[in-house]
Amino acid sequence: VGKKQISLETFLFLLFLTLLYLEISMRVGTAPICIYGQAGCPSSSLADFFDRVIQQSSRMHGISSSLHSESQNFLPRRNFIGKRKCHTYSIPTPDDKENAQRLGREQMIEVILRLLEAWSDPLSQFHLSMSPDQDQDFNQYGSNKALEISDMLHQLREGMKILGALGNSVTFLSPESFVPVSDFSFYKRGELNSVDHHNLLFCLNRDANKVKNYLRVLKCTTFPGTDC
Amino acid sequence: MMKNVPGSLLLLLVINVTLDAEKIGLRPPGKPVLTMCRSPEKETFTCWWEPGSDGGLPTTYALYYTKENSDAVFECPDYHTAGKNSCFFNKNDTSLWVNYNITVVATNTLGRTFSDPMDIDVVYIVKPNPPEELNVTVMEDKSWPFLRASWESPDKADTRSGWITLIYELRVKLEDDGEWEMHLAGQQKVFNIFSLRSGGTYQVQVRCKPDHGFWSEWSSTSYIKVPDYFHREKSMWILVTVFAAFIFLIAAWLIHMNGHSLKHCILPPVPGPKIKGFDKKLLKYGNSEEILTALVVPGFPPTTSSTCDDLLVEYLEVYIPEDQEMILEESKAERDLLKSEALRSDNDSGRGSCDSHTLLMEKCAQVKETDIGENPVMKEKQRHQQEWNESPLAYAHKDLLSPDMSGGRVKTWPSVFSPLPQQSAATLSQTNPLVMAKQHCHSDSLFPLGSTSSYFNHTAHSTEEAHRHSEFYTTNNHPQKLQARSDLNISNIGYSETPTSLQLPPMQPTSYVEVQEVNRDNMVLLQPAVSKGCCGDGRIDNREDYSKVKGMSSDKVLLLQRDVVSHEMDLSKEQKINGALEADSSSPQVSTVSPAQNKMSPTVDGYVDTAVMFTLPTH
Repeated sequence: VGKKQISLETFLFLLFLTLLYLEISMRVGTAPICIYGQAGCPSSSLADFFDRVIQQSSRMHGISSSLHSESQNFLPRRNFIGKRKCHTYSIPTPDDKENAQRLGREQMIEVILRLLEAWSDPLSQFHLSMSPDQDQDFNQYGSNKALEISDMLHQLREGMKILGALGNSVTFLSPESFVPVSDFSFYKRGELNSVDHHNLLFCLNRDANKVKNYLRVLKCTTFPGTDC
Repeated sequence: MMKNVPGSLLLLLVINVTLDAEKIGLRPPGKPVLTMCRSPEKETFTCWWEPGSDGGLPTTYALYYTKENSDAVFECPDYHTAGKNSCFFNKNDTSLWVNYNITVVATNTLGRTFSDPMDIDVVYIVKPNPPEELNVTVMEDKSWPFLRASWESPDKADTRSGWITLIYELRVKLEDDGEWEMHLAGQQKVFNIFSLRSGGTYQVQVRCKPDHGFWSEWSSTSYIKVPDYFHREKSMWILVTVFAAFIFLIAAWLIHMNGHSLKHCILPPVPGPKIKGFDKKLLKYGNSEEILTALVVPGFPPTTSSTCDDLLVEYLEVYIPEDQEMILEESKAERDLLKSEALRSDNDSGRGSCDSHTLLMEKCAQVKETDIGENPVMKEKQRHQQEWNESPLAYAHKDLLSPDMSGGRVKTWPSVFSPLPQQSAATLSQTNPLVMAKQHCHSDSLFPLGSTSSYFNHTAHSTEEAHRHSEFYTTNNHPQKLQARSDLNISNIGYSETPTSLQLPPMQPTSYVEVQEVNRDNMVLLQPAVSKGCCGDGRIDNREDYSKVKGMSSDKVLLLQRDVVSHEMDLSKEQKINGALEADSSSPQVSTVSPAQNKMSPTVDGYVDTAVMFTLPTH
C-alpha cells in the first residue's frame, strides 16, 4: 500500500510539474526572440510564429467570408447595397503592392494592429445585436461565428503585439487613436437589421483579407526565401 | 404657316429617316454585357464585354467606372492592350480592397445603350497564369521508380514578396488511358508520383490558384516515359507462382492420401441392403447348412448403441395375472404404456441386445421368466389372457424379464435387447444372437411368435447345428410364465423361478414349433415342428421374415402381421394348418405359418421373420 501511495503522489507531483511547465511555456516568456539577421539566433522560431499568426488570420478570414456569404441569403429581396462605408476607412492602408512594400516593417505592424483593434468593439456589438426574433437561423449561426472571430481577433492582437515588440520601435497606441469614436456610431444606431449585419460583415471580411495579406507581406519581407 | 413648313418638313424628314432606317433594320445598339473581369497577379486587371447587336450601324463602346465612395466617373484607360472589347487597368489604376462599379456603353448614331453594371473587388477576381517550367523526371528508388514533377509559379504572380499565395494542383494520366488522376500539391512546387506502370508513358499537367480566386488554366503537358522495370515484378511473380505450385502439390498429395475418406465424406456411399460378411451367392448355390453357418455373422447384434436406438422396439409389457398366461399382443396404447413402464422399470432399457450379442444370448437364455403373475393386466391383456386361457396355443411373445423385475411385467421381446442382468447369460451360447437381433431390429412391432421363436433360435451349444427351435409353452391354468425356450434346457439357466414353476405341458420337454406360413391376412400360422428341416408344405422361411403378432384368432391361430409382404401366402396351407391346429387344441402347440418361401432354403424350422431383413451378427 505504501508503494502505491508513493507512486500516486509521485504521479501527481509530476503532473503538477508538467502543468506548471506548460503554463509557463505558454506565456510569452522573456527569452530573447531572434530577429532575422541577428547572429547566433535561429530564426526558425520566429518564422514558425509568423506562420502560426498567418494561419490564424487566414482562418479568421475564412470565417468572415462564410459569415458574409450567409448573411447575403438573409438580405431583403431588393439587393440594395447602397453606399457602404466601413468604419475603418479612416485607417490608411496600402491598397497595392508597391505601397505595401514601401511601408516597412514597423508601419506594417502598426497598420495591422490598428485594424485588429478597430474590430473588437464592433464585433461584440454585432454579437450582442443578434437578437433572436429576427432571422433565426442566421442569428444562431452568426452569433457563434462572431464569437469565434472575436477570439481569433484577440489572439491576433496579442500576436501582433509580440511582433510589434520585436521591432525596436514599439508604438504604444491607445485604442482610441485607432478609430475615431464617431465611427462607432455607425454601428451603434440601435438595433442592427440584416442590412446592417450584411454591411458589417462585408467590412469585416475585407479587413480580415487585408490583415492576412499584410501579414504575408510582412513575413516574406522579414524572412525572405521560406515559402515566399 | 410658311415658317412652319420647314419645321414640319424637317420633322417629316426625320420621321422619314427613322422610318427608313427601321425599314432597313437600323437600330440603336443592343445592350452589351460585361462578361468578366480578371486579374492575373492582383496588381492589374482586365474586363471583357460582349457587344450586343450593333443595330446595323457602326457602334462604339466605352467603359466607365466609379470607385467606392466616390462619385467621380472614370473611363477605361486602355482599350487595346487586352484585345477587342476589353479594358485593361494598369497598376496605377488598380486599387485593391476597393469596389469598382463598371459599366459599358454602346453608342451608335441612333442611340446609346448601357450595360448592366458590375461590382468587383480586384482581390476576389484573381486568376493567375498557369505554372511554368513543368519538369517531370524519373527517379529510381530501389528499382521501383517514381516520377518527380517540379514547376515554377507563373511569371507575373509575385509570390516572392508574399503579395500573392498560390496553391497548386497536379494531374497525371497514362497515355491513352482516359482518366486523369488529380493531386493537390498545396504550396509546394515539387510532387512525387508513385505506383507507375512499367513501360508506360504519362502525361502531367499542373495549375494554380490563389487562396481566394480562380483556378488557372492547365499548364502545357509534359510527357514522360517510365522505363521497364518489370524484371523485378517478374521475379516476384515467379516466386508467387512457385509458392502456389508448391502448395498445390501438397494439397494434391494430401487429397490423394486421403482420397478414400474424402470420397466417403463428399459422396457417402449409399447404404445398400446387405448382410455383412454374408456372401449372397451362398443363397443361390449353397446348401442350407452353409447358409446357416454363414448367417451366423459375428458382430451382430450391432454393438454400437447408436444404431440400437433405431433398432429398439417398443416394449411390450405383458401383465399376467397370477392365473393366466398372457398373450402378448401389442396395441398402440399399450405399447406406449408398456414402453414407458418398461423404461421405468427396467433400468437396462434402451440398451438391448444390440449392445452385445452376449446380452442377447443372455436374454434368450433367460427364457423369460415372465414374472408376470402378480399384477393385473390391462384390459386388452386381460382379454388376451382369456383367450389364452382357452387356447392351448402358446403365445409366443414373451419377453425376457430380468430376474429382478417386479410387478410381473413381461416385456416384449424387443426388450430382450435391453440389457439383462448379468447372471444369466453365461451359460448361453454365443451363437445366433443374430436371429434375435433381427427381430429386435424391427421397430414398432410386437414381434410375433415367430420373432420370439427367433430368439429362441440361437443355438445354445456350439455343438449344435444351427437349428433353431423355439419352444413355446403355454400352460393355461398355471401361474404361467410365458417361456420361450431355446434349445438349452431351461434348467440350465440360472433362473430360480423358471424351472420350478414352469409347468410343462404334457408333451415332450422339447417340442418345436415352426412357422408354417403366413397367410394372406398376414397371419402366421405355426405348426409344431415336425422335424428339422421339414416343412411340410410350408416353406418355412427364412428368418428374415418376421411377422408381428397381430392377434390371436379364436382358433388358436396366432395372427401375425407382415410388414413386408414379399412372399405369397399359401392359403391352402393355412387352412390346413388351421385345421391341424384345431385338432390339436389340447396340445400346446403353436401353429405358425411360414411366409412364402423365398429363395432361402427352409432349413430352419418355424421361424417367422418379419419382412425386414436384418444383418445377422456374425459369430
